[in-house]
Amino acid sequence: MNLTPEQRELGRRNFLKALAGTPALAALGGAIAWKGPVTGGPVRVGFIGVGTQGRALLGVTGPPFADVRALCDINPTSLQKADEVLATNKQPPARHYAEWQDMLQKEDIEAVVMAPPLWKHAELASGCLEAGKHVLCEKMMAWDAEGCERMRAAAQASNRVLEIGYQRFYSALYQSAYEGIIKAGVLGDIYHSRLAWHRNGNWRRQGEPPSKDYDPSKWGYPTFEHLLNWRLYWKYSQGLFAELASHQLNVANWFFDSKPEAVSASGGVYRFKDGREVYDHVYGTFEYPHGRTAVFSSIESNAFDDYYEMFMGTKGTLIIIREVEALLFEEGNGERSTSVAVSARGEGPAAETTETQPANRPGGPTTAARAEGQVDRRASSRSEVERFCAAVRVGTPIACGPDRAIGSAVACTLANHAIEKKTRLTV
Amino acid sequence: MIQSPAQLSRVQQVSLVLLRTLIGWHFLYEGYFKLLRPAWTRAGAPLAGWTSADYLNAASGPLAWIFRAAAGSSWLPWIDTAVAAALVAVGLLLILGLYTQAACTGALLLLALFYLSAIPTRGLPEPRSEGAYLLVNKNLVEAIAVFVVLAFRTGRIAGLDRLRAHDRNRSAPLRTDEALV
Repeated sequence: MNLTPEQRELGRRNFLKALAGTPALAALGGAIAWKGPVTGGPVRVGFIGVGTQGRALLGVTGPPFADVRALCDINPTSLQKADEVLATNKQPPARHYAEWQDMLQKEDIEAVVMAPPLWKHAELASGCLEAGKHVLCEKMMAWDAEGCERMRAAAQASNRVLEIGYQRFYSALYQSAYEGIIKAGVLGDIYHSRLAWHRNGNWRRQGEPPSKDYDPSKWGYPTFEHLLNWRLYWKYSQGLFAELASHQLNVANWFFDSKPEAVSASGGVYRFKDGREVYDHVYGTFEYPHGRTAVFSSIESNAFDDYYEMFMGTKGTLIIIREVEALLFEEGNGERSTSVAVSARGEGPAAETTETQPANRPGGPTTAARAEGQVDRRASSRSEVERFCAAVRVGTPIACGPDRAIGSAVACTLANHAIEKKTRLTV
Repeated sequence: MIQSPAQLSRVQQVSLVLLRTLIGWHFLYEGYFKLLRPAWTRAGAPLAGWTSADYLNAASGPLAWIFRAAAGSSWLPWIDTAVAAALVAVGLLLILGLYTQAACTGALLLLALFYLSAIPTRGLPEPRSEGAYLLVNKNLVEAIAVFVVLAFRTGRIAGLDRLRAHDRNRSAPLRTDEALV
């Protein structure tokens, strides 16, 4: 999203102005705080999958709401790096496991935070739920719709908390935008949303196996390269729609209060013909009830547009850029910049998530925007884990359970099918 | 000279017992809340385990160095548990009116410690305090209230002490001026 500094400043001011008078979100939960405390210490947590994303979650998990007891990963190097995260946060070391069943059997844990490759979500999450553990599973919910349903059924049958890790639901910025702009009708009637996540880089990672004789084949990865770059192969991944679009589509579902009814899409491996299977360019059109449409694009060849969610209504336009900056423009006489706004200033993420780490992030002129008003993206992830633990311990509601997450997961997998079949598919 | 319960009016007796009960509740819940932690609010906010370290480290006044030394000692976990348990015990006994005189003595000792750890000598708003105090603060006022409860032997007005005394009276009746109401 490229605007002049003046436009951005105007947009920020408009957003904050529009929010004036919106009750503080914190106050909503405060009404029941008088009832007195509930016994119980930090939730005893085990981690499954401590790659980049798992470690990002690990970095925001700890006292006073969580006690990390064990780490599980089939890659010893990842476990080693996870140890460093715990040490950095001055937390005691956690025991290591390669097999998640061993961890569940031997550890006195109540909950599991997991971020394994997508194809394993359904199996691992369902297994943990069936073992009586609460689960916070990194997005996307599962590799296919059947997997999502399996997870939802396991959560219901076991009466355990299942949360899918979409940190935007815990962002004060998004919550404010929803309560103060969308729900308040500031945008008027919204018919269109534009979702973009543009990067200029190779998604492929470089790394050495943990040892010369390391063999991940017993876990389903023929080579270490497949384990390292699981996002690039259909067996394990659903590509850009799962890793990027599902975040933004979930916001569209939230703000539209509905789910896509039909999907059409195009894409392919256009730039990086290096053996990868998943597309490096995708374009999807998601049709919602009442004539609403969200259009998503993700390209790996140009970062100028960066990433953002834009909602276009009859009275105004809301743009949320890079999760940290919100702008509001009123409609009127064809003039674009009548107003805008955000956001608490804060440090950038101390632990980059998979999507935002430098190798995956756009460079070029758009990065200058980082210096402007920002919210702490890491705070959203921390809040996500904390609220999950609260749901486990006290039973407070979670923001993104299976019912909500399944909508974007199904639509995203369907988008890949639409590309494959070159047709429009109904959900 | 302190009056015996029989010489107090009904309103005076009720006031004293009410004062004792409320002080008891104050102590009991303070201790219970400390022992309860780590805990969670109903709204889902975690409450970390309680330690007196912050309180001791923030000690002020002429005796502050003693309390700060305690904060850094290996005894701290023991101090934490002892303070919380003492608060609960004193509170419970005051509410029940059981061993009231001993409970009052314990309450006075605790309040004296709390007062001495932060004697308000500056006459300015202090950290962890909602007002400005000079020498007299709420700990001191509560201590005097406890002293009143102690002096009037309120366990003999209402409480389990009265039953204990009643049992003794069966074998050795009290003199007239010690008769219970």
